[in-house]
Amino acid sequence: MGESVKTLLQRLVRRIPSEVLKTTLDKWGRLTAQQQRALDLTQPKWTLMENLWAICEENEWTLKRITELEMIYVIENPDQGMWYAYQLLDPEDDAHCVELIQFKELFRYHLRELVRHVSVKVKKHTDEAVWIRIAWGDSFSRPNHLKPTYVVHYLQTPYVFVTSLTSKHRPLLSQALVLSTRYQTLKDANLSGRKLTAIRDLLMRQYQQVFPTKCPSPLAEKNHPALKKEQDGNAANRRRMATEAFGDGTLPQLQTAVYKLETKFKDPTNRTMSDREEPFRCVVKFSSTNLLESLRDCASSGFASTPVTPLLSSISLKGKNYFVVTDNDPGALSQTRRPQN
Amino acid sequence: MFKFVSGFCAAAADTPNMERHCTSVTRTPLNSVRVQRRSKSKSYRQSIRSCLGAASRLVLTPALTARRLNTSRKAPKSLDITEKVNPEQLSLLVKKEWQLSYVTPLYQFRHTQLKSYSRQLSAFIAAEKQRGLAVEVEGTHGSFRVSFGVVQGMSEADDDAETVLVQIYSKPLFAVKDEPPRAVWSGWLTCINGSPDYLRSLPKDFTCMPLFCSSGADGLSSLVKSWFQLTFDCCFGPLEISHTSLQWLVALWTNCHTESAIKHLKMMWTVPAASPLKVTYTVNGPDAWQLWSSVRKERHDGSNKEEEEEEDSIDIEEVMRFMQDLKSHFYRHFRTDLSAGSLDQVATALGSAKSSGRIKIANSKYMITTLTLLTECALLKMPI
Repeated sequence: MGESVKTLLQRLVRRIPSEVLKTTLDKWGRLTAQQQRALDLTQPKWTLMENLWAICEENEWTLKRITELEMIYVIENPDQGMWYAYQLLDPEDDAHCVELIQFKELFRYHLRELVRHVSVKVKKHTDEAVWIRIAWGDSFSRPNHLKPTYVVHYLQTPYVFVTSLTSKHRPLLSQALVLSTRYQTLKDANLSGRKLTAIRDLLMRQYQQVFPTKCPSPLAEKNHPALKKEQDGNAANRRRMATEAFGDGTLPQLQTAVYKLETKFKDPTNRTMSDREEPFRCVVKFSSTNLLESLRDCASSGFASTPVTPLLSSISLKGKNYFVVTDNDPGALSQTRRPQN
Repeated sequence: MFKFVSGFCAAAADTPNMERHCTSVTRTPLNSVRVQRRSKSKSYRQSIRSCLGAASRLVLTPALTARRLNTSRKAPKSLDITEKVNPEQLSLLVKKEWQLSYVTPLYQFRHTQLKSYSRQLSAFIAAEKQRGLAVEVEGTHGSFRVSFGVVQGMSEADDDAETVLVQIYSKPLFAVKDEPPRAVWSGWLTCINGSPDYLRSLPKDFTCMPLFCSSGADGLSSLVKSWFQLTFDCCFGPLEISHTSLQWLVALWTNCHTESAIKHLKMMWTVPAASPLKVTYTVNGPDAWQLWSSVRKERHDGSNKEEEEEEDSIDIEEVMRFMQDLKSHFYRHFRTDLSAGSLDQVATALGSAKSSGRIKIANSKYMITTLTLLTECALLKMPI
């Protein structure tokens, strides 16, 4: 038992940058004033670890205490690792009435029913988010605290965000969530990213959206060269359409968008490919430090023609960044001809 | 042969590249006149250079920038190169990413003197270390051992010089008994199917191996280049892979799909924006092949060329059409023209290439075609 406590503490000390460690320890509040004063955070990590371990033994901290510390760190610094968004579907009648206490109890109960050895910690955070830390074991082994899954659920919304979940545990988590939130299924929302705050804002619409003030001009759809030039030449117009497609002001920091294209290759001048029945399979990945801002830029500057194609504007409008596109999707393909070289 | 133009002509166009990278460049004049070499005075060098600049114009197309890549080349056929080249040596060249440079012809380089060169380069590196130019390679002691070798059988053309492989070994800190030594740095100079016109135009004592591939610590690369520059009066420069060359590789590799599956065709573009947007466009192998063969079919339908000739050569127009088709498919979905961005990288199961001048050859069967293209690119950078 002592060994696993030490290992977890070691991992934490190594993982948490020294600058952040102080605030994390303060928030945790488990050190006495004297111990806090004695701890010199400018020391090298291994010395820090020795000191913390001494304090740990002195205070007789258990595994539970250390996982508390870890949870505080993760909640305060959520923009690490890969987060995946999920959505709960088909609510029961009382789904929107589920309160925190009820959710906590039901979740713990159902998960324990599904997994013999599991360690669950549920904590309500200030912004209506419920954070869950799960250390998974199985019928034969104790929970592994070194590879916990973190789940964030916004009560009374159908949204769930998860990190570090293996495919083996996904169905178990899914089941427990569904039963405790009173929905029927949990589905992949096809949205992922390194920053929890970004994907949360995108999915839950917490950024400045701009709604179209008028319908896109139908003439823009026809490839009339003069009119098209006018359209594209109109910078203000482009900017407006760009903001309509992606949003205004600071945009959630998404890093990638992936499109799996399964559409036919359409080119009237290429008979062979036009006759072909099978789709032209390819995958397009867009990446950037701030994808939405880059795309908005491209639309404003004219690299991406405006009005912005539904495929790209869907990222903001639907809150997704993984798409499978087939020929049946409306608006998947624009009507315009390819640009002349 | 041509006559040497006597007298000092007006200054030839010196490429900025030359000035930046060369420390010493001398040129012996062409065959009919013998001039004292080794005169390092700047004015003498400049005037010789300018003469040769003028003279070479008689032979080759004028300024550097006017010369272009071949607009047509042979379609790569699977070549079991292991029949001609030592498989062990070949394994050192494939599946590794190389940084490319071009190098001007080497003066008085002898393939028979490799042992001596090994010793000389070892001594040079040791001497530089003494001077304080330390090159630390992790996990090793400081001393380096150099080995020069010839990779025979790579080039097919008679005018091509044999490929030279240089490897630098270092004593590992924790030596395992009987473990074969692994090189901490390797590089090779090669010329594959170089333009016979150019190669034959060179004076007798010059060996042309314009393509230099290196892998390992940058410090060691610099040292090796310095030694070559001092010993053979040559010049190194970075060899970027141009947009056109990358497109050639896309077409050449895709063409191989029926013989060796390319698995996928991956292309990476960077589109300018406040935070640059990277687009990775990966096409399924068989689908890329279908498109490519349809482009070839469209080109050759109704043409009068001989059947065989059609099969064997690929024109730049086909390459352009293929790329344009790929971009059109993209445009139809995203209404973004990839031509507005820059093509940075291409990759298939056969290899990968980056515009910054990095190449990886995964399959030795198509090595020769890739190296032919790269040799051509390197030759285009030759100042004369």
